[in-house]
Amino acid sequence: MDIRAVIAVNTADGVISRAIRVASIVSCVLLVACSKHETKQSDAATDRPPAIRYEAHIAAGGKPPVGGELVNPLRGDPAAARNGAALFSAMNCDGCHGGDGSGWVGPSLADGRWRYGGADEEIFTSIYYGRPKGMPAFGGAIGAAAIWNLVTYLKSLPPPADVPTESWEE
Amino acid sequence: MFRSARSIVVATWVWSLCIALLQASAVANAANAKPADGDDGQWSMPAKDYAATRYSGLAQITRANAHGLRPVWTFSTGVLGGHEGQPLVVNNTMYVVTPWPNVLYAFDLTKEGYPLRWKYRPATSPNAIGAACCDSINRGAFYADGKLFYNLLDGHTVAIDARTGHELWNTQVADVGSGETTTMAPLVVRDRVIVGAAGGEFGIYGWLKALDAASGKVIWTARNIGPDAEMLIHPDTFRPPYGEGTDQGATSWENSAWKTGGAPVWGWLSYDADLDLVYYGTGNPSPYNSEQRVGDNKWSNSVLARRPGDGALIWAYQFTPHDNWDYDSTGAMVLVDVKVNGRPVKALVHFDKNGFQYVLDRATGKLINATAYVQLNWAKSVDLATGRPVLDPARQTGATKGNVKDICPSLEGGVSPASPPAYSPRLSLFFTSTNNFCMNYEASRSTYLKGTPYIGANIPYTAGPGGHLGALMAWDASAAKKVWEIDEPLPSWSGVLATAGDVVFYGTLDGWFKSVDATTGKVLSKFKVGSGVVGNPMTFKGPDGKQYVAVYAGIGGDWSLLAGDLHSDDPADVRAPMDMVKQMARHSSQGGIVWIFGL
Repeated sequence: MDIRAVIAVNTADGVISRAIRVASIVSCVLLVACSKHETKQSDAATDRPPAIRYEAHIAAGGKPPVGGELVNPLRGDPAAARNGAALFSAMNCDGCHGGDGSGWVGPSLADGRWRYGGADEEIFTSIYYGRPKGMPAFGGAIGAAAIWNLVTYLKSLPPPADVPTESWEE
Repeated sequence: MFRSARSIVVATWVWSLCIALLQASAVANAANAKPADGDDGQWSMPAKDYAATRYSGLAQITRANAHGLRPVWTFSTGVLGGHEGQPLVVNNTMYVVTPWPNVLYAFDLTKEGYPLRWKYRPATSPNAIGAACCDSINRGAFYADGKLFYNLLDGHTVAIDARTGHELWNTQVADVGSGETTTMAPLVVRDRVIVGAAGGEFGIYGWLKALDAASGKVIWTARNIGPDAEMLIHPDTFRPPYGEGTDQGATSWENSAWKTGGAPVWGWLSYDADLDLVYYGTGNPSPYNSEQRVGDNKWSNSVLARRPGDGALIWAYQFTPHDNWDYDSTGAMVLVDVKVNGRPVKALVHFDKNGFQYVLDRATGKLINATAYVQLNWAKSVDLATGRPVLDPARQTGATKGNVKDICPSLEGGVSPASPPAYSPRLSLFFTSTNNFCMNYEASRSTYLKGTPYIGANIPYTAGPGGHLGALMAWDASAAKKVWEIDEPLPSWSGVLATAGDVVFYGTLDGWFKSVDATTGKVLSKFKVGSGVVGNPMTFKGPDGKQYVAVYAGIGGDWSLLAGDLHSDDPADVRAPMDMVKQMARHSSQGGIVWIFGL
């Protein structure tokens, strides 16, 4: 697939050169990556939205609802992580989540804690469809393939030590 | 905390001068200082009066007795966003607007414990939280003719029956999907409700609108940038003090960058009835990387004077042409008469984010004086002949310039526009919060993607000299000098209240609410209010005939984001504190509390 085409079609207001440059690099990677890894429910080639369940949710009666499994086709791919880092800036993610995802008006994405789950497929769903309190849905603008790059980037950030205590005592 | 004996000497000297000028200026300012209903016992609009003085003629609380101030009532709003703005008191009812979701409370001041008469809970979209650059704040309501007018964060303006709490109309004025949110307090002039939108970090196409107070129908929309026709500029009535020419709002942006050029309206509006002009400041041009918008970028970072009837732009003055430091000019435009070089001037006084305090002729927009009120270095001075700043070439930023270091003030401003000043006509003194830090500014190319941030800069801050990050300052606009200052360990984000008892009031980010001798800067009382103060104190006369002072506690706005560690309500968001303000979260957490103090 060609993400340049997706962007051109989906952003009426126009995305300028940097995004397109980045996207064209990404698309090359993805053409390779997607041909190797089939996803069970999400079809990166057609940007068909996934239908999945949230493993992190409590299931009434202990019975999870029927839902597909969503697999990151780029999981652990360093090149995809680098592309995702570029997209994180080019798609203005850093404008809300801060440089390196350290948190700004949007929550930190680098603290190892997640409002809506930190599994690859949960992060994918957050970016693709958006979330309440203002996380925009990016699925229409950049498509599933670019979002897997972003997920791979976020998952590549070194997991910090979880330090629940902050002390001002000497 | 005081600035030394020298300040006191200066204060004494200025005080003598003030007494000399007192008679004339008090008379001259009486017309401006009068509230819409002419009653100092009430507080019906955000800045107390159309001149935006935040001065009350109430004088029961004095320099002699303010040490006895104590809290008499408190109420939790149930909301944790930054509590900017101020309560209103009209007809023995106190009205409080919360941050998102913008609940409106009406407290009955005639009954013990001030129970609610009603509360109004609008269906404000949570999507707006993510489109608001800097916390889900609201700057308050305006009361006129039995109605309360205010903005919901998600781009709606509402009119509420002040007696019943019923919604009279609800008009969508802004588009959250384009990055527009509505945080400012409306200004009502006659039958016009005037509103604007925030979104300088989202590449909006900034505007001001007037709605019909009876129906909510939009009567006119004036762009702040762009071609004359869209800015409501008519060649026969537009008289800018510097630089004639058509379509300056479009031609001063290369490559039509004005289309996503920002220039939001999120601060305070004022009005001169004699001139029939509404004054308001515009915010930064978008994006922060100035190389994507070559030119002066008119009329971002400007003050605009419009006729409320038809919206026509009469004059405009740009404080920071081609802004490359995020120096919004959305702070208050205070309309008072000051003496400059012995000559009385019908002035507009403005403390800009860029560190200069300006005195303009409010009839023409002509610059009379511009003086640095905090340490600044991006410019050397402002040329009074051209109205333009004399720039320091070493402190110009842009994507090709890399990391430009040590620019003062920081983009948080010499004072935040969120923290409006007060003016005492008795003392001919202004009182304002100030901030004391600088920044490194590293711009990068930014991509416009509708509904997402359009910024392109990484801008860490550094502390300014002196060991304090903020202050409350008394300023003499006639002499263009500081009279006294109280240093604060943290940035100062509170508005100020001035009173005829010569007591001024403000709050701090570490959660103190203070009363201060307006003549000397001596703190008369202080009380820990539970959360940092980013709101604006106000005063009123209760049904018992006594003077009270009210203020919100509820840290938020920029500092709730910058500090990193103030939030305790989201277990999925843990951040290290910002180095510069590691003590902030030690003294304050989020909150939402209305306080009333009395003797």
